[in-house]
Amino acid sequence: MIRLDRKVIEAVQAAAVREDLYPWLQKAIELEHSTIPPYLTAMFSLKPGMNDEIARLIGSIVQEEMLHMTIVGNILIAIGGHPAINVPGFIPEYPGPLPMAIGGSSFKVGIEAFTLPLVHDVFMEIEKPEHPIPVKTLEVAVPDFATIGEFYAALTKKIGEFGNSIFTVPASEQVLNWFDAARLFPITDRTTADKGIQIIVDEGEGTQTDPFQSPGNPAHYYKFGEIFHGRKIIKTASGFAYGGDVIPFDRDDVYPMKSNPKIADFAPGTQARLRVAEFSTAYSNLLNVLHTAFNGKPAIIDTAIGLMYELKMIAVSLMQTPTGDGSKTTAGPSFEYIGALSDADA
Amino acid sequence: MSYLDTPRLHFTGHFQADVSTINNVVGYFDIDSFDPAKDQKLNGNGGWNPEGTAIFRFISCTITGGQHDDRQIMSAADDPVIGMALENANDKVFGKLVDLDPQQQMVSQIWGMKLRLAGNGQPALFGGEFVPIAFYDLWGRQVFARLRSDQTLGAIYQSVLKNVVWEGVSGSPLLADLQRVSQDRMLSIDFNVYGYGRDATNPRYTIGRIAGTIGPYYAGEPRHFVMGRQIAPLGEEPNPPAPVSYVDWFTCKVHDDRKIVTADFGNCLPIVDAGGELFPQGPLVLAVFKSETDVPLTQTVTADQVAILGNVDYLRPGWYAQTAGIQDFDYSGDSWCVANIGSRPILMLSPQTGGYSVLGQESLGGYYVRADNFVFRLNPEQHGQVELYASRYGQPLAGPIQVGPTLGMIGQTGSQGQPPGVAVPKVAIPPDGISYPDQAMANAAGKAVLDIKAATLKPAKPRGYIDGQLYGIGYQLPQQPQQTIGTPFNFTSVLVFSPINSPEQPTWYSDIQPILTQYGNLYPIMSRHLVDLGNYESVVAHLKILRLAFSLPIDDPNHMPVTRDLSEAKRTMILRWIDRPGSDGLPIKGTPMVSAGTASPLETIAPITLDLDPAQTRGKTAALMEFKARQTKDNP
Repeated sequence: MIRLDRKVIEAVQAAAVREDLYPWLQKAIELEHSTIPPYLTAMFSLKPGMNDEIARLIGSIVQEEMLHMTIVGNILIAIGGHPAINVPGFIPEYPGPLPMAIGGSSFKVGIEAFTLPLVHDVFMEIEKPEHPIPVKTLEVAVPDFATIGEFYAALTKKIGEFGNSIFTVPASEQVLNWFDAARLFPITDRTTADKGIQIIVDEGEGTQTDPFQSPGNPAHYYKFGEIFHGRKIIKTASGFAYGGDVIPFDRDDVYPMKSNPKIADFAPGTQARLRVAEFSTAYSNLLNVLHTAFNGKPAIIDTAIGLMYELKMIAVSLMQTPTGDGSKTTAGPSFEYIGALSDADA
Repeated sequence: MSYLDTPRLHFTGHFQADVSTINNVVGYFDIDSFDPAKDQKLNGNGGWNPEGTAIFRFISCTITGGQHDDRQIMSAADDPVIGMALENANDKVFGKLVDLDPQQQMVSQIWGMKLRLAGNGQPALFGGEFVPIAFYDLWGRQVFARLRSDQTLGAIYQSVLKNVVWEGVSGSPLLADLQRVSQDRMLSIDFNVYGYGRDATNPRYTIGRIAGTIGPYYAGEPRHFVMGRQIAPLGEEPNPPAPVSYVDWFTCKVHDDRKIVTADFGNCLPIVDAGGELFPQGPLVLAVFKSETDVPLTQTVTADQVAILGNVDYLRPGWYAQTAGIQDFDYSGDSWCVANIGSRPILMLSPQTGGYSVLGQESLGGYYVRADNFVFRLNPEQHGQVELYASRYGQPLAGPIQVGPTLGMIGQTGSQGQPPGVAVPKVAIPPDGISYPDQAMANAAGKAVLDIKAATLKPAKPRGYIDGQLYGIGYQLPQQPQQTIGTPFNFTSVLVFSPINSPEQPTWYSDIQPILTQYGNLYPIMSRHLVDLGNYESVVAHLKILRLAFSLPIDDPNHMPVTRDLSEAKRTMILRWIDRPGSDGLPIKGTPMVSAGTASPLETIAPITLDLDPAQTRGKTAALMEFKARQTKDNP
C-alpha cells in the first residue's frame, strides 16, 4: 500500500477516548470505498468475451474492497459510531487524491476505461504492499513514510489499549450478510476487531512472505500484477514469477470510454447526459441504502445488492452510448452524488 | 375522490422505458431454434432495443400546475409546490415495465416504482409506492412521425400511490389540503405517456413525454379509473396526412356539489409529433345533449339541441403543461344543466356551419362498466378477484353484470417476423383453462367481485414452447344499448401458468437449464453482462444473488424474472434446486438430456401480413395493427 500523511497515524495514536477514533474509522470506510469506482469502471469497460478473465480478477478485488468497507463500518458501529455514507463528501473527487491524501496529494486517481498503464501506474500503486515481495525483477521500495498498513496497525493497537469495554453496540446493528462467516463476522471485542483488520490487510497486501492471501488467491497488488504482465503468478524455485497461465487481453475489446466523465460534460437532452445521470442516480440510491444499512437497519443490505446489479446493467448501456462530441468515445459512469433533487437529469 | 378532484397537482416531464425488444417475438421463446448471434442483434432480429433493462423511470418531472378548490395554481407565487420535482425512489432500484406475455403486449405494467415529491431542499415531502397497473386507452395519438421509428401511440396509466408517507408540506396550502383529505394513506395518480422514441441514434431513444396529475384518494373507490362520465370517440382514428378531426376516449367527473364538470383531455387529443404539441383541429366544445338517446349522434347537432359547457382550452399556449389536459367547467349559471346534467349525455363538439359535429359522445344511455384490475397471473387452481364497477351517468348502478369469454387484443404474434419453422400458438385453448360465473352482481356502490379460477391445464403446455395459456374475460351491462361503442381495452387478461411435475431433487440439465436458458436468450443485458443464465458454472457462481432475486415478491423492482412470467411451481423448484446441493456442496447438475425437440403448440395461428415500416414491425404498433387486421378479417 502506498504512503499517507503521517499526521493520520499520529492522530490515531493520540486518541484518548473511543470517540476520537470515529473520524478515522469513517476515513477508513471512505478509503475502502474510494477505490471501488475506478476499479468498477475499468471492469465495466471490458466487453464480454476475450477479456473475461481480467474482468473476473478485478471483480474479485472489488468484492473484497466491499468486504473491507463493511468490516470497518462494523467496527465503527461496534464502538458506538455512525458511518456517514450518503453525503457528497463521501465520494472522492475524480480525478483526484484518495482519502487521507493516500499516495500524496500529487497521486491522482480517475475514472477511466481499462488500460494496462492504468493497472500499472494507478491500481498497482494503490495496492502496493508495505514490503512487496519480489516477483521477477520487481523493485523494492523502501518506505520512509507512513503506510495504510501502519494506519491499520495503529488502529489495532489503539483498540487494544482501549480494551473490550469500548464495544457496546450489539452485532444485530452490524451488516453481516453476503460474505462468508469466516471473513465477515460480528465485531464484539478487540479480538474480533483485530481479526477483521487483519483480513483487510492480508487481502490487500498478502502476507509479508507470500503474495497469496490464501492458496491460489493472490492479494490485490499481485492480481493487478497478473493482469499487467498477462500471466498468472506462480511459485518458482527462487521465489515467485508471473509465469503461469496466460491472462489474455484484447485492447480492441474495451469500450472507448471518455475519461472522468461528469454529468455536466454532456449537453442536456442527449442520450449520454441522460444515462450518465441515470447511473449516478442509481449509485446515489445505493449509497443511501448502504447508509441506512449501516445505521440500524442491516437487513436492507439486500436492497443494496439489487442496486449493485442494476448499476452494472446501466453501466453496460452507458459504455455503449456515444458521447456525441464528435469523438469516437462513449459515455461512462460519473459516480456523482445526487441529493434531494435530480437537477442533474436531462 | 381522485385525481379529477381538488386539490390536485399537475406535472410534466419525461420518462424512460428501457424495454427489451427480443421478447416481442413469440417464436423467440422456443429455445431450440434460438440463435443468439442473429436474434439478439440490434436493429436486426433483436429489434430496436435488444439489451433493454426493463427500467421505467421518471426524468425531470416537475410540478407545473395545480387546482386548489376554485383556484388554478400556475406559478410559485400561487403556491410553492410549483417547480418541485416528482422523482423516483432514492432508496431502491428503478421501476420496471413489463408485458404480460408476448401474445398479450397490450397490458404493459409498471412494477416496483416508488415516487416522491422533492422540493425546498427536502428529498421527500411525500413518497409512495405506485400500485402496479397496465396502460389503458392506447391509441395512435401522434399525427406525424418525424422519425420512421417514432412510437406514435399514446396511453394512460392510472393508479394510486400507496403507503404514502408525508414528511412535510413546505408551506404549500395545496399540499396541506391534499394530505388532509386523502384517505387510506393513498393518493390518486394518472399520467399520459406519448412521444416515445425508438431510434438508437436519436437523443429520444427509449425516452418519451409525460403529463400527469396527482390528487386525493378516497377509501373504497376504484384505483385505476374514475367512476365518472365516459366519452367515446365517434370518428375514425386519424390516418395522416388526412386532416385530423378526432378525439379519443376521455373521462369527465361531475361535481354536483360545486356545479363543476372536470374533464380529462390528457390522452384524448392528437399531438403533432413527438414534441407533444397538441394538434390544432379547430375549436372544441364540451356540451350536454338535451335529450336522451340510444344511438350514436353521427349527424350534425344544432345549437338548440345542446347546452354548452365551454370551449376546450387546448389551443392556449402552455395549457397542456400547466393542466395535463384537465379542465374545469362551471355550469352553476345554467339552470338547465344544474337540473339535467346528471341524466343527459356529455358531448365533445366541433363547431360546423349550422351546428356542431359530434366527435365524442358519452357511453350510450350513460351505462358503463369496467374492471378496475384487469391483468392476472394465476397458478393452477388459484383464484383471482376481478373488481367490476357499474355506473349510469357516473352514478353507481346496482344489478347484474354479464361476463363471458373474449379474446380482446390477446393472441397476436407480436411481430411481423417469426423464426423459420416456429409456429405461433393459438391462445385460450383448452377453453376450460379458466372458469368463472357468467354474471356478477353489483351492489349499491356499483361494485361486483368476480371470482375467477385457473384450472390445472390439460395438456399442461397448450402453447408448447411458451409456459401457460392466455384467456380474456369480457363484461357488459344488460341495459347497454345495441349500438354501444366499446373500448377495446375493457376486458380482463389472464395468464394461467402450466402445471409441472416438480421433482424433490431438481437437476440443472433436466429442470433448471431449460427455464433459465429462455430468460438468458430474451435478456442479453443480464446473460451477457451479469450471469450467463444458460451456463451452469455462471449460475453457480451467482447463486446467492439469484436466490435473493427469485425469492423477492412480485412487486419488488428486483424480482426475478423481470418479466414476472414464471409460475410459482417453477420458482419454488429453482429455489429448491439451489437449496439442496449435492455432495460437492453445489446444486446438482445431473446429466445432459437428449433434446426432445421443441414442444409443439396444441394449435397454431396463421401469420398475417401487414404493410408496416420496417421500424414498426414489432411491439405495440405491430400488435395493434395485427389486432385490427384480424378483426377486419374475422368480421369483414
